[in-house]
Amino acid sequence: MAARKKGKRFITTTVEVEGRVESKIVEQPAFDPVPWDADASLAIVGQRAPRVDALEKATGRARYTSDIKRPGMLWAALVRSDAPHGLATVDASAARAMPGVLDVLTADDITGVLSSAASKLFDRSVRYYGQPLAAVCAETAEQARRAARAVRVTIAPAPFVVTYDASMADGAPLVRGSGTNFALNSPLVESRGDIEAGLAKAQVTVSITVRTPCALHSAMEPHGAVAEWEGDRLVVWESTQGIFRVRANLAAAFKLPHTHVRVLCDHMGGGFGAKNAAGPHTYTAALFAKRLQLPVRCIVDREGEQLDTGNRPASEQRVTLGARRDGRLTAIRCEARVPLGIMGWEGGPAKIYHELYSCPNVHTTETFALVNASAMQAFRAPGHAEGAFGLERAMDVLARKLGMDPVALRVKNFAKKDEEKQRPWSGNALLQCYEEGAKRFGWRSGGEKQVLRSAQDDRSAGDRIRRGIGMAAQVWGTGGGPPAYAIVRINADGTANVLTGTQDLGTGARTVFAQVAAEALGMTLQQVRCIVGDTERLPYTGNSWGSMTTPSVAPAVRMAAEDARMQLFEAASEMMNVDAGTLTAAGGVIRSSATDRTMTFSDVSRKLGEVCIIGRGSRGPNPQKTGIFSFGAQFAEVEVDMDTGVVRVLRITAAHDCGRVLNPTLAESQLEGGILQGLGYALFEERAMDVRLGMPMNPTLHDYKVPTMADAPIIDAFCVGGSDTTANHVGARGLAEPPIIPTAPAIANAVADALGVEPMQLPLTPWRILSS
Amino acid sequence: MHLLVNGRPREVHPAADASLLAVLRDELQLTGTKEGCDRGECGACTVLVDGRPVYACITLAAAVDDAAIVTVEGLGSPAAPHPVQAAFAALDAAQCGFCTPGQVVSACALLAERPSPSDAEIRTAMSGNLCRCGTYPKIIAAIQAVARGDFGALPASGSAR
Repeated sequence: MAARKKGKRFITTTVEVEGRVESKIVEQPAFDPVPWDADASLAIVGQRAPRVDALEKATGRARYTSDIKRPGMLWAALVRSDAPHGLATVDASAARAMPGVLDVLTADDITGVLSSAASKLFDRSVRYYGQPLAAVCAETAEQARRAARAVRVTIAPAPFVVTYDASMADGAPLVRGSGTNFALNSPLVESRGDIEAGLAKAQVTVSITVRTPCALHSAMEPHGAVAEWEGDRLVVWESTQGIFRVRANLAAAFKLPHTHVRVLCDHMGGGFGAKNAAGPHTYTAALFAKRLQLPVRCIVDREGEQLDTGNRPASEQRVTLGARRDGRLTAIRCEARVPLGIMGWEGGPAKIYHELYSCPNVHTTETFALVNASAMQAFRAPGHAEGAFGLERAMDVLARKLGMDPVALRVKNFAKKDEEKQRPWSGNALLQCYEEGAKRFGWRSGGEKQVLRSAQDDRSAGDRIRRGIGMAAQVWGTGGGPPAYAIVRINADGTANVLTGTQDLGTGARTVFAQVAAEALGMTLQQVRCIVGDTERLPYTGNSWGSMTTPSVAPAVRMAAEDARMQLFEAASEMMNVDAGTLTAAGGVIRSSATDRTMTFSDVSRKLGEVCIIGRGSRGPNPQKTGIFSFGAQFAEVEVDMDTGVVRVLRITAAHDCGRVLNPTLAESQLEGGILQGLGYALFEERAMDVRLGMPMNPTLHDYKVPTMADAPIIDAFCVGGSDTTANHVGARGLAEPPIIPTAPAIANAVADALGVEPMQLPLTPWRILSS
Repeated sequence: MHLLVNGRPREVHPAADASLLAVLRDELQLTGTKEGCDRGECGACTVLVDGRPVYACITLAAAVDDAAIVTVEGLGSPAAPHPVQAAFAALDAAQCGFCTPGQVVSACALLAERPSPSDAEIRTAMSGNLCRCGTYPKIIAAIQAVARGDFGALPASGSAR
């Protein structure tokens, strides 16, 4: 391993989160472990180890936020607006008199940061349906729910807009009451080359307009918090993707030093982007707990979860592609319109148009409109899932027009570097994804023409069921980056703890970090336990978003483990009377090339007694001027019932490149999960908004259709490529978001193949299929 | 009222309108059974009542007086898991794990009724248990593995260990 470095300790670097580039000053780690390149011989990393907490979960022993019960705990429930715009009057007198009710919070009770923030807690100025207006606290959950229903809310209605067109129309009601309905300095224009010249050069052009729906995260565990004050210190259990961000939110809201806020998240029931900060439920629990001096649990109910905890906003994309007759792209243009909600950020559809293909002339315009609907939140590959539908549908139409195989067209336009930023990729096995995916799927060589012929045969046969195949590709920034820290502590019995302040959303973070530490220590996986989810006792890592947890934290964990191992070797060298440089470890046994004698970790630890070995690791900066992305290609086969319009996805083959895979089983689970969410996005999921009332009509899991087991296709998901040591010394990039990106366009392209018409609007409901 | 919960007689005192889910979670501290929707849509609260799978959130506690209830905790423990639980763990049929208790209970109910279910029977029987992480393919594999006997013989139907 490398010697400790000299030189500057803090340097400036860039990190990319869900398409946003941030500049940060970061610590240069004290040493860089030797990269685990493709030839590294690893015994535990890369193995199909079962999830370390799998039995806890399967036997119901895993504790989630909503399972936390504290002595004397009370229940809180939120009261929401039932109109999209207007001024609310809240009368809680009846609720206060109900049995078990101890306290009520309305705008009158909110002061300080919570009353001045962009989204004021319990603001009387209602800007969307489902906005929290009050909260009640009672002795039981049922009493709280009942009292919440008894709070009388009267809203003096104001004109509102819930669609893009209405928001952008002349004289439209202003969503924020002043200024404009343009959000985020819209329109945002990004351009390279000369789009007009590129279109002029094109021998073939295609222009399409696609529409994507507003989709809801619908995690099985709703947002929730349990808050308890210990004197002037606040302890909060929160179902979150970012314990440290929640700590910062609470510290700011209650004007507390970080020493006085502790945020915990042990097991967590799904996030998908919607659980990245403290929310109204968090502040409600903490406020009631402070006022009543008792612990308070506030869990968002399912209706509230579907109404107001985030969404992927809808989009309309007008796409034009220009190409030479050989398929080479000369121009890519997209004009995107997004009804954002009352606020949001610029995770728009345009970015993938700049990243996925080689093309000298790319021009995109995004207009984000404020509407009277709940705020967007990042939802698994925000922007890219929407953009991929437009871009990859257009590529399919182009392939048909050129008479070219869709895979061949994509191979032809493979981007050898990141053309948007003019920098090399750290690694890119997209060509291998196309090749391996096509092979395992059985994509017919000669592809499209042959497939079209078979589809036409189906038509002439007058079959009720038609089959089709389609494919699509994906790109997504997955480099992660600093800051992220880990501590590895070797216990007196020779076992080890990994301490890192990340959170395991169900991704398997605990498992893979235990694997990384065991590998770097030379111990067995069973000897290592990874502890996450506590801001008070664990070192900082960032939010689990942007597919960054593995590439950010794994290098820090590895470095901490290497540091601990070096220290243990120094002790062992003293005991074994050999040079520390002669020592190696595997499976918990330390060997020296200088002697036959071996020692186990527990031998060394026991001899040391309670001498504690603590290794420290930090995430180093990313390489400069390098694009770190994950890639993939998916292939779908569907059947369409011509009488009912029902689309069934029969199978999906998914080939992805995320650098080194730390645990293939967990990687497959991630891929399957993204694919199933993408299938829901393709076929079923849409927040249905009543535009006359400004009211979402399906805030339940009965009416908002997520896929069930009956909808699950046969999935063959796997990773190609290998260790990417340009990205980081572990060689792993992120994988969480990529698999949702190409699924919907691959399915829609297969439907196009089956029907011979071009579906341009998601979800592909039976009604839309029949009317096409 | 009396309940036989995971093989043990329990005396509980629910409010007249309390759900079975509230009794299990809030009164008996059996938090393995999850509340995902509280309106009979997601299946996270599935438990066995006299051997039949029910949604505890829309089951009135008073309506199951004297019934035998089996929750996910009663099927097995990490030290002695039920074959279905062992299969879920070994085959990665849980990601976030929040829906998993309901999935496990539904799978047990299915296997008690049909020891060798077809693929279509599994999909139909399990489609009342939603999973948002996308573990369905792995759950199907786990149920098939248990049916093959890969994880040992199933205990008698509906019984708690």
